[in-house]
Amino acid sequence: MKLEVESLTLEYAGRRAVDAVSLAVESGEMVAIVGPNGSGKSTLLRGMSRLQKPAGGRVLLDGRDIRRMAAREVARDLAILTQSPEAGLDLTVRELVWRGRYPHQGILQRPSASDYEAVEWAMDAADVAHLAGRALGALSGGERQRAWIALALAQQPKVMLLDEPTSFLDIRHQVEVMHLLRRLNHQGMTIVTVLHDLLLAGRFAGRIIALTNGRIAFDGSPAAVLDPAALEAVFGLPMMVIPDPESGQPIALPRPDPALCAAARPAAD
Amino acid sequence: MAGMATTFDGSARERAARGRGSRPLFVLGGVAALFVVLAYLSIAYGARTLSPSEVWSGLTRESDLLNHTIIWQIRLPRLVDGMLVGAALAVAGCLLQGVTRNPLADPTILGITAAAGLASSTAMVIEPTIPTWGMAAACTGGGLVGAGLLFFIAWRGQISPIRLALAGVALSAFFGAAIVALLSSSRTFLQTSLGFLAGGLYGADWRDFRATAVYILPGMAGAFLLAGRLNVLALGDDVAAGLGILTDRTRVAILIVCGVLTAAAVAIAGLVSFVGLVCPHLARFAVGNDNRRLIPASALIGATLVAAADLAARVVISPSEIPMGIITAGVGAPFLLYLVKFRG
Repeated sequence: MKLEVESLTLEYAGRRAVDAVSLAVESGEMVAIVGPNGSGKSTLLRGMSRLQKPAGGRVLLDGRDIRRMAAREVARDLAILTQSPEAGLDLTVRELVWRGRYPHQGILQRPSASDYEAVEWAMDAADVAHLAGRALGALSGGERQRAWIALALAQQPKVMLLDEPTSFLDIRHQVEVMHLLRRLNHQGMTIVTVLHDLLLAGRFAGRIIALTNGRIAFDGSPAAVLDPAALEAVFGLPMMVIPDPESGQPIALPRPDPALCAAARPAAD
Repeated sequence: MAGMATTFDGSARERAARGRGSRPLFVLGGVAALFVVLAYLSIAYGARTLSPSEVWSGLTRESDLLNHTIIWQIRLPRLVDGMLVGAALAVAGCLLQGVTRNPLADPTILGITAAAGLASSTAMVIEPTIPTWGMAAACTGGGLVGAGLLFFIAWRGQISPIRLALAGVALSAFFGAAIVALLSSSRTFLQTSLGFLAGGLYGADWRDFRATAVYILPGMAGAFLLAGRLNVLALGDDVAAGLGILTDRTRVAILIVCGVLTAAAVAIAGLVSFVGLVCPHLARFAVGNDNRRLIPASALIGATLVAAADLAARVVISPSEIPMGIITAGVGAPFLLYLVKFRG
């Protein structure tokens, strides 16, 4: 399912956080949005769903303006996972994931076989089936994050937006979450995720969009965006890019500060 | 063998952790049985105690004039009114706890009871002979204005549950003071005022039932229809909006339903406290967090609690009676303290 953003302007705390951004995400793409803190990544993601009303512009889901569609209709095709939601700690994982079926259920309708299947599938896919009966509040950060992902999956969306799904996770869980997203992407889901970690962006995304000051600075393949000059322009920090010794994928690193290196060397000798 | 053991252990632990299994049916069945017993006792006991055969003949035979009148004109309507009051307050409390995401929310604490009560006491002072339906309408107006004010004050671009709770506490104090000011300045009503302020079912009859059922039954239906949305709203605004909930519109609908239910209860029984607070917690213990079960369970528990409290209010110092609200507070407050101390 195609997601188009047309000169979208969004405000945050009285300030223009996203400034007339246009972009198109084709069906089946896996896109990472990167950028410094306050560059408008999260706000853009909220504007691309129905979480935030745009101050200008519009968002089209397969050609239809999401603001003109019924909220539940949008939720059947597009899921958004915001950063570490705090509520629902007294629910079990299964209860939580069931609530992802809301956009598919009628008000007085009993749960259908497809609801059960979707919930079981979502818990399996996010690897929380073995935690189904545990309360959310009793889980580790990684388990909880996967439970929230399972909630979004239970919506059976065609497009999934995620805001830093790997934050607060250890490296193994980070990689596991990214592998899960890649698997879903290979099954046909369109994925747009905000990522802080350039390593994960370079390894897992097919396309990287870099934001600064609410505008798109660079947009292209990992090789094109993970470029020392481009990254320096985005993050304002001297950067270098080296190839992964095994895969050859670009790895972006801050360039060692020459002054610090010079100071450190005599001491090491 | 080891595999089987693991599976068994896993599912058993899961059941234990979820606290489900057959418990909801067991507990609710117990509550329903208790309700039936209380209903019988409420009909049999009072100023004149009826034997089982008198209860039966009074219920079924019009020729048994005295018992027929006692049961059909006094005790049964009072029981039914009590059920409505308890169910309405419990459901309103359940909705408010969900919408504010605060386990301490209830119609009394959020000022909706006091708003309806202020409308009711104003109506009583202006027109002492106001008909029952007029009183019910006045209370509903007051309850809706209270809920509307609550919404208006808590709304700043969007509604935050915390502002909602703070605004409610302030409104409750303000309206409560206004009620007491109003009633204390009009001496003639002091006797009835006391029953009204403490909350009770003294003199509740079929007119009360007819005047309030038109509000309570649609209110209950509305609450039940909103249950699924409330489930999702409890996950936080962003998650709810992502799942296709219009969060503020849902909150407005919930507040309207709470206003209507609370006001109808106030019209019958005055300012009954703690029913709305305690019953949802009891229901949650029995059926868990799903509002589609929690709301009907709260209604059943509320009806039972008020029936029990009213029975106690009538028999404790029989043939005289104490206001039922004193019993609900007397039971509710210690229970709340227990919750705070031991259940977090």
